[in-house]
Amino acid sequence: MKKCSLVQLKPDNRARVAEIHGGDNLRNRLMSMGIYKGKELVKLSHIGLRGPVVVKIGRGILALGHGVAAKIILEHE
Amino acid sequence: MIKKIYLIGNPNVGKSVVFSRLTGVNVVSSNYPGTTVEISKGFLKLNEDRIEVIDLPGTYSLEPTSRAEEVAVSILNDSVKEEMVVINILDSTNLERNLLLTLQLIEAGFPVMACLNMCDDAGHRGIHIDVDKLENILQIPVISTCAITGRGIRMLTERLPQAHPAARGALSNEDRWKEIGRIVESVQRLEHRHHTLREMVEDASVRPLAGFFIAACVLYASFKIVRFIGESIINKITDPFFLGIYQPMLEKLTSSLDKKGFLFHLLIGDLVGGTIDFKQSLGVLTTAPYIEFGMVLPYIISFYLVLSALEDIGYLPRLAILLDNLLHRIGLHGFAVIPVLLGFGCNVPGILATRALESKRERFIASTIISIGIPCVPLQAMIFGLLGAFGGFYVAGVYLTLFFIILVLGIALNRIVPGYSPEFLLEIPPYRFPPIGALIKKLYLRVRGFLIEAVPVVLGGVLLVNVLLYFKLFDLVTAISAPVIQGLFGLPKEAVVALVIGFIRKDVAVGMLMPLGLSVKQLFIGTTLLAISFPCIATFIVIWKELGLKDLAKSTFIMMIISLIVGTALNFLILR
Repeated sequence: MKKCSLVQLKPDNRARVAEIHGGDNLRNRLMSMGIYKGKELVKLSHIGLRGPVVVKIGRGILALGHGVAAKIILEHE
Repeated sequence: MIKKIYLIGNPNVGKSVVFSRLTGVNVVSSNYPGTTVEISKGFLKLNEDRIEVIDLPGTYSLEPTSRAEEVAVSILNDSVKEEMVVINILDSTNLERNLLLTLQLIEAGFPVMACLNMCDDAGHRGIHIDVDKLENILQIPVISTCAITGRGIRMLTERLPQAHPAARGALSNEDRWKEIGRIVESVQRLEHRHHTLREMVEDASVRPLAGFFIAACVLYASFKIVRFIGESIINKITDPFFLGIYQPMLEKLTSSLDKKGFLFHLLIGDLVGGTIDFKQSLGVLTTAPYIEFGMVLPYIISFYLVLSALEDIGYLPRLAILLDNLLHRIGLHGFAVIPVLLGFGCNVPGILATRALESKRERFIASTIISIGIPCVPLQAMIFGLLGAFGGFYVAGVYLTLFFIILVLGIALNRIVPGYSPEFLLEIPPYRFPPIGALIKKLYLRVRGFLIEAVPVVLGGVLLVNVLLYFKLFDLVTAISAPVIQGLFGLPKEAVVALVIGFIRKDVAVGMLMPLGLSVKQLFIGTTLLAISFPCIATFIVIWKELGLKDLAKSTFIMMIISLIVGTALNFLILR
């Protein structure tokens, strides 16, 4: 198991959320949109150097700002 | 006894479409989260009762994280549980994420019924949901619907009386997600499918390289289509009507009037070369209807047709992702592209749409940028109509100037305005292809809205101006402002009338420039200034209502400074 942030994960890779660095506010927002510890997601793409990250989670697609993505720590094979 | 029905659900699940179906009240719906920023109310007739139906802004949970969500949740908490039914609308194609709110609603003790919307789309994607089983697990009525075609809506109203609070212990969000996992596992069956073409395009449009290529094509094509349809309507329908039918009729009817009289001046205006010139005569029956119906309306129709199509298909959130990076430089994030695009139609809905942005700071920056740098369709139509005659080069010049202003203004505001801009977090909807009837209906709503608002103001505005001009009441204003208008901007001093009228409506204002016989350079400066300077009164009021008097004052101050600088710079430096 390796750990990295959502920003560092390469596109088209699957990983599991290990932890979310951030306040309760951010954690709650992500939680209500379906991103929480233990959830699996697939990174679809990353726009530009400091642009948003697009992930597939369940059957939905979410775009997260660069700052948020950096706070989501994942573990993957 | 049910008195109220609340429609609640995640953003972009089709609450507004269900609302229109239940009440017959038409509201605009699109395929992106946050279309509904205002709460709509209507009535449903059930047997002999009239039940109030309230369409709430979308929310992901009962623990609100944005202003729009807060509104939805507080309204729900303030009402009497015995007298209401909550219809929780879910997106069948994404059951898992939608169920969090459902569980929260049941746990909070609301009488809930679940409406699995977009069931046809789920079917296309190979998603099958066992509705009876879900009903058993949740202990509330579950109805599958397809609101856009009306399927299942009858069932929804018939089962309303069956909505009762269900017993369910409160869970933590972590446990809720685990529970949801189990529920989805047992009620949902997925057919294995290969990627469809639609899914491949969906994917490609959020990848960096393909995404920007697609965006460039979409924007270019949109622009071309808007122009093509607008020009076709003008050349094939409105111009033949005005010149071939309306003008001879008007000339016959007014032949008995004294050509120097007050009435003739009001209705027809000045004759150019002995005949009516719709662009220059400036009468209530000549230039006023020609501006609205012959120059602006064709572009209103074509612009909203293309915008509505882009909205309903679901392309705009993808554009938001691609532009997020750029918009961060000016203190906004990607989602702001939606209010800005709406602002190109009319600034008022654009500024209202900024409600979907989270912070007050973003809303101030976005509203200021929209009111200063984004020309609305009526203004653009006039710019094309007037400057276009001298070549596309000048029209492009106006847009470039505005773009440059937005960039500089945005960077400056991002530095100066205190506070922070929150991060981007947006759900990207799948592409959908709603029936053409839905598109036409939305276009009709918007065109009707335009006509109701614009026509009386235009006719009244031209009438007022004609009276003021006839009695030479503008002379004082003209004299006072002459140093700025003539000295700094290089325009004839009468052009101030147009700038003042710009406060009422931009299209009439450009119309006032037409009879002045301006040179290309003067026309360029005049139209650019009209685009930047005083937002029209409707925009003014909406900024006041949305942001308060203080922010309106700041915004206006910025606008005046920019008008002065840009007008002078264009006159002395750039267009020498």
